[in-house]
Amino acid sequence: MGTGTDVGAESTNLAGESPEQVAEPTAAEGETTVTEEGSELERTIGLTGGIAIGVGTMIGAGIFVFPGLAAGRAGPAAAGSFAIGAVIALLVALPASELATAMPKSGGGYYFISRGLGALPGAVVGISIWLGLVFATAFYLVGFGNYAAALLAEAGVPVEGVPVVVPLALLFGVALTALNLVGTENAAKLQNYVVGLLLTILVVFLGYGGLDALGVFGAPSAPERFLPFGPLPMFTTAALVFTSYLGFAQVATVAGDIKNPGRNLPLAMVGSVLIVGVLYVVTIFVATSAFGSDPLSRFGETAIVEVARSYFGNVGALAILLAGLLATVSSANASILSTSRAVFAVSKDALVPKVASRLNLAYGTPHVALAMAGGPVLVLVAFGEVEVLAEVASFLHLVMYGLLCVALIAMRRDEPEWYDPDFRVPAYRAVAGVGAVASFGLIAFMQRVSQVIGLAIMLAAAGWYKYYASDVQLKGVL
Amino acid sequence: MTADEPNTSSESDRDAGARAIREPPRILVPVAVLEGEALSEPLAAFLAPSEVVVLGYHVLPEQTPTEQASMQFEDRAQAAIEDIAETFRAAGRDVETRVAFTHDRDQTVERVAEDVGATAVLLPNPAGELRDVLVPIRGAVDPDRLADLLATLLVGGGGTVTLWGVTKPDADFDAEAAVADARELLVDRGMATERMLAEATTSESPVREIIERSADYDVVVMGRGAEPVYSALFGDPSERVAGGAVAPVIVVRDREV
Repeated sequence: MGTGTDVGAESTNLAGESPEQVAEPTAAEGETTVTEEGSELERTIGLTGGIAIGVGTMIGAGIFVFPGLAAGRAGPAAAGSFAIGAVIALLVALPASELATAMPKSGGGYYFISRGLGALPGAVVGISIWLGLVFATAFYLVGFGNYAAALLAEAGVPVEGVPVVVPLALLFGVALTALNLVGTENAAKLQNYVVGLLLTILVVFLGYGGLDALGVFGAPSAPERFLPFGPLPMFTTAALVFTSYLGFAQVATVAGDIKNPGRNLPLAMVGSVLIVGVLYVVTIFVATSAFGSDPLSRFGETAIVEVARSYFGNVGALAILLAGLLATVSSANASILSTSRAVFAVSKDALVPKVASRLNLAYGTPHVALAMAGGPVLVLVAFGEVEVLAEVASFLHLVMYGLLCVALIAMRRDEPEWYDPDFRVPAYRAVAGVGAVASFGLIAFMQRVSQVIGLAIMLAAAGWYKYYASDVQLKGVL
Repeated sequence: MTADEPNTSSESDRDAGARAIREPPRILVPVAVLEGEALSEPLAAFLAPSEVVVLGYHVLPEQTPTEQASMQFEDRAQAAIEDIAETFRAAGRDVETRVAFTHDRDQTVERVAEDVGATAVLLPNPAGELRDVLVPIRGAVDPDRLADLLATLLVGGGGTVTLWGVTKPDADFDAEAAVADARELLVDRGMATERMLAEATTSESPVREIIERSADYDVVVMGRGAEPVYSALFGDPSERVAGGAVAPVIVVRDREV
């Protein structure tokens, strides 16, 4: 079917398909990748676009869903939880940047791990990350449902006592998947504007709120005790809110489309983590200063709307409601797209049937992969448990992040000839080592149920690999 | 190939003109290769005196990775571009071909044009027999490149060329002088004077007038004519002409500064 070269006669799955190679990962020059047949693959996403993908994916969760939940668990120390998350994300973003500039190919973390550590870890990560993104998308959609319901309530529609959150989330999940199936011409440009608008609203809101909390416009708010429940909740909360930092790896899943990847990939990944990290910490600070963590936690997923109302009245509340709708939709949409790319990456390597990477002839969209993204999302949305969805998504991503750090160490230890990253992590052993330990360590602080679901998915992925694709070789195959 | 390589035209009647060519023109022909866009034989024959690079491109929706599309469509794209190259070979011109999968047509065309050193880009429209050329001159065109292109395409063949200076009434551009210069440059390159018409008019909306007039001609040759703000909203004037006209439009590229 395809035109890439088959990697090896031995390396086949149950259906006799082999991994396909389209282009040398190193055959990337500025604006194009050249395939083995000489076709050019244009790179069209610049630095702004890359940062918009990262920020757009992440911002929905940390600001618009978590503040209430996190403050309820950890008090003002929730700001510390977000800071811990940012540090771990940065520790992983650096190795991810190095690997991505050495192999600027779509597929992101899965690609680096399968090439650096082999097919079994690759398959486990590839399949887990598909499902991890499915969990993340479901989480964003439930967040969206909460905002849509709050907006209806604001508009005076009597929704009290009627469970509208899940139906609204389901409806939008179907709509987003359908939209992506039939092709959205200017989605990326739109994403840039949405992210710009969001950042503007947030900077105004947080700037004013921050100054107010510090006492510029009146008496400073009485500080609450920073660790009302002791240090442990700060870490368990960090494990919960880590979902707010998953987006930087999504930049790596579109690495094949990023212009001048040697420069733009590291900047986009590290930059987007820094931007959202600062915004999250300030948000928690402002929110807990305005209300104290107890009332905040009672407001639930849309707590930040009440914070805005306390500063700017109903206009502020409405602005933040709209921002919340935009942010959760943009996160959900970016995740659906990443999911479809994750499916493509494993299917190209024959770890799942190749039919998954077929394109629809009428619209030119990857309809099978999109269905494999949207379908399971709807099942999980119906399940509706925000905290479990978020933690399982984080679990599966953290496993990938940890292994990614290990892959960097493996790559550097015996550097293959082709390994020539434009960006090299300074003190790589320390950075990647701490990154790996921190990633795996954070998993230990999650709820039992999330750990069990995450582990079950990984085992199932390993089982699938043994059954379907145990002869596929990927380590060092480029 | 570099720009100052000698013109390789072998037909003797073309030599007189070819000798005076400063910079042999190189035309980029972008074709939406998987959408069944083809190139007519007369158009290929018309372009054949010039060097030609055919770019087969396929625009993908943003959610489709270019790599994924190339796995499925590369063979078809390569075969289709080969057909087009064959059309040119039949007209006596061996062409360079490129295939690109992209999310952004304009970026790809611009990049390849720069890459191959194209002096002009074809904006295709259906074409029959090509004889009469309309050359609207609005200021924004490199006169030497324009003359080299016209002389290369026309001196050895038949047909006429109408040099038409067209400006807005209040424009700070001497259309008559520009037309006279262009005519002079063409004469230098061996173009017979009886095949040239030169005129200049003013118009409130040059683009609309060019589109209207293009109906009486077989092909339009013009500069890109970019006006920064307006172009960002509505596209370059040349693109708007190509969109409205029935005839193919050849856009002379500005020299890179």
